[in-house]
Amino acid sequence: MTDHPQTRMLTFTEEILLLVGDEDGAFLPIRQHAFECVLAGAVLMDLAFANRIDTDLEALVVATEDPTGNPMLDAVLAKIASRADTTDTQSWIRVLSTEDAATIRERALASLVERGIVERREERFLWAFGSVRHPTLDDGAEREVKARIGRALADPIPDPRDIALISLADACRILPEVFPGREIEPSRIALLRRMDLIGREVAGTIADIQRTIVSAARAQAERTQKLLLSLSVAAVAGTGAVLLVPRIPVPDRFGPSVLRSLWFDGFWQQWSGYLLLALSVAGLVIGLAVRKRLVSRIASLRRWRFAHIVIGVACVLVLFAHTGFRIGVNFNAALMGFYLAMLLSGALAGIAIGAVHRLRQMGIGRMGQRRRVLLWLHVAAICPLPALLAVHILAAYLY
Amino acid sequence: MSQKVVLWLIGMTLLAAAYVAATMLVGGDRRALLVGRTTDAHHQIEMACETCHAAAPFADAATAERELNETCRNCHEDELDAAVDSHPRSMFRNPRMASYWEKLDARLCTSCHAEHRPEITRTGAVTVATDFCVACHSEGDEDIRLDRPSHAGLGFDTCATAGCHNYHDNRALYEDFLAERAGGPALRPEPVHGPTARFRALERPAGMALGRGDAVAPAAALADTNILVQWAGSGHAAAGVNCTACHADGLAADSGPAGVTARWFEAPSTRACRSCHEPQARSFARGRHGMREHPGVAPPRNPATGLERVGLSRLIPEIVAGWVADPVPPARMTVGEARLPMRADAEEHRALDCGACHRPHDVDTVRAAVEACTSCHDDRHTRAYADGPHHTLWQAELSGEAPPGAGVSCATCHMPVTEGREAIAVNHNQNDTLRPSDKMIRPVCLDCHGLEFSLDALADADLVDRNFRGTPTVHVESMEWAVRRSAGDEGGTAR
Repeated sequence: MTDHPQTRMLTFTEEILLLVGDEDGAFLPIRQHAFECVLAGAVLMDLAFANRIDTDLEALVVATEDPTGNPMLDAVLAKIASRADTTDTQSWIRVLSTEDAATIRERALASLVERGIVERREERFLWAFGSVRHPTLDDGAEREVKARIGRALADPIPDPRDIALISLADACRILPEVFPGREIEPSRIALLRRMDLIGREVAGTIADIQRTIVSAARAQAERTQKLLLSLSVAAVAGTGAVLLVPRIPVPDRFGPSVLRSLWFDGFWQQWSGYLLLALSVAGLVIGLAVRKRLVSRIASLRRWRFAHIVIGVACVLVLFAHTGFRIGVNFNAALMGFYLAMLLSGALAGIAIGAVHRLRQMGIGRMGQRRRVLLWLHVAAICPLPALLAVHILAAYLY
Repeated sequence: MSQKVVLWLIGMTLLAAAYVAATMLVGGDRRALLVGRTTDAHHQIEMACETCHAAAPFADAATAERELNETCRNCHEDELDAAVDSHPRSMFRNPRMASYWEKLDARLCTSCHAEHRPEITRTGAVTVATDFCVACHSEGDEDIRLDRPSHAGLGFDTCATAGCHNYHDNRALYEDFLAERAGGPALRPEPVHGPTARFRALERPAGMALGRGDAVAPAAALADTNILVQWAGSGHAAAGVNCTACHADGLAADSGPAGVTARWFEAPSTRACRSCHEPQARSFARGRHGMREHPGVAPPRNPATGLERVGLSRLIPEIVAGWVADPVPPARMTVGEARLPMRADAEEHRALDCGACHRPHDVDTVRAAVEACTSCHDDRHTRAYADGPHHTLWQAELSGEAPPGAGVSCATCHMPVTEGREAIAVNHNQNDTLRPSDKMIRPVCLDCHGLEFSLDALADADLVDRNFRGTPTVHVESMEWAVRRSAGDEGGTAR
């Protein structure tokens, strides 16, 4: 069977991508592993509906290796046929979600682009962070898919293909987003889910992975939060030292002195100043990227947040090298004030994040509200810094 | 936080930064940009940045440093020449001194005197460690401990702090001078400050004195008999200086009532004083009281030049100047701006012009010599003056019990009468004999005291605070060492 891409019906993969994409071409917020499992399940469903594979409670077997005409489905079919070690549906969902989800998604999106349903649009943020969106060009197909699901939800005897699609949509928890404001009876969904084996296996796999992830994430979160807490406390201590620790005097002895060079020699002041500027810019860019969710594709959000706080601690150390924790006078005092406010509010927000479980155990709740206030202060303190730093640097070169 | 608030905050600070940048590049008050408290020596002119930062904006570091150091010489070169500077810049510019440049580059004033560094600024606006002499005098042939066994156990931090040496001015401290004056009495038999005595003995030209009836002024002014009496008893009247000299811009007294009234103004500026007292005005501008009048103080920047530099020359400079005008030339120094302790009842806003010390009509130099000082200054040294021996002598001179020049007023030491090649006049630069205070020894102290006593007295900070009531408890040994060395008892050769 060979269909021309323009005329053949949409695959489950393409339909599910249409459902999870919004008008601007961004994806709805779905957990990564759930999305990958759904994509794997969608391919298996396509193969099953094309009579290339057969599934039951025990096994998944290849019925025929004849090509479907869809290169992506054929590639997966060949893979299934070539491996005898993996036999049941859930195992194949795990394998495909782990090894092929990205390829499946890209090929399905390319197919949608080829059909003129969406377009591919590449964008860059601060020249460093690239992102690709697929805004809808023709929403007819998407409306048709939604209409089918809508009908199936109400139809006493729905089409098996629609049941499968509902199972996939339910597995990645997007039905409320697809039908905003519509009351969807959970018992009806549960009933439909039971009617589709692959959909059920997808949901089961997702639940399994979810449990594993939650367990691992808890352990990881505890370790990360401890580190986060330690770094944030160090940053708070460093920032507090500026105000509380007596100024370290430079020795009144002629000759080389590291402290005198650092704090009173223009050459070293310039280097430490630019290092501080570079760190501050890096921290700002990462902070912005984390806030705008632009970095999750490169590494986990947690790692970037961690990097942001490490940079904050490094800023405290370089600030010490640059100023010896001298607040300065006049304009420089204002600059230092805002910079310290930025460091302190950021470090306290880090503590609020890192110690959230302990604080809850101590009965101190509502940390979310406090964290928001601290982040607000953090951002408010950052706003004037570019202008203040520009004047600070300009003054250094003018006088 | 909403995006609007963030944008608003960024926008507001950018606007503020733009204004600050405009003050830097076009014109305006830049004192908010000072990176540290200006030294006591320069705080009066800190609003006129180009006085010191003379290089063009964005000049390279070497040019900026060179220009900065040139401006030091604009104001201080004469006094360094007069002090026979022991470490002149010319000495270090010799390539043979290159090995010292890396240790302490004495070709540059800023190597030792960095501005706006209060934390490391020591007495005399010195910003290198107190033992800086170690840089050049501790190694090789220049190791002072080899040449002078008496110095073997001395720390380099004592060179300039024990009353023995100064970096620049050693006019009263070099070995021959010390050796020649060894053994002098603490107080000379007939202690009189010679230049002051000769100044007092100056005779005014005969036949020029004016009386009350000679005053030429509009009728309204002549009606103020108090002023008239003060003027008639003043040195001005005795020297034939009529009212019109100051109040009518030097108009001849016989110009007739209409002419006088037409040219009359109530409050003459110091320009009127300067027209006759040029040497005094010149020295006044070199001291702390009048340094804002020093010709080296930078004039206001031209906004047009600044606008052209930033590519906005199409803006009308006059309009811009209204927004960003340089606060220079600065207004006169006021009592309230002083960094030394001032009396609570001193007039805070009193500007330090000639009339601040010399009342304009009686021009009483006796009042100017003591009362004018003590009416503002409130440090321990000033407060102790009334109970000190110098005050007793001053009273004796005023009462005629002591000869002219025997009394010691504030001005005797801090604004001493100085004899030049052509004139004898009061030096109105009160800093000329201060910081370090042993600059005072030759022009003042030695007329009445021996050198050894003078050195000890000035090195005794407590005695100085007590305005020399008592005897020195500090002894500067350099004189004995100089004597031994000149007698050949110590190695090396006296120099």
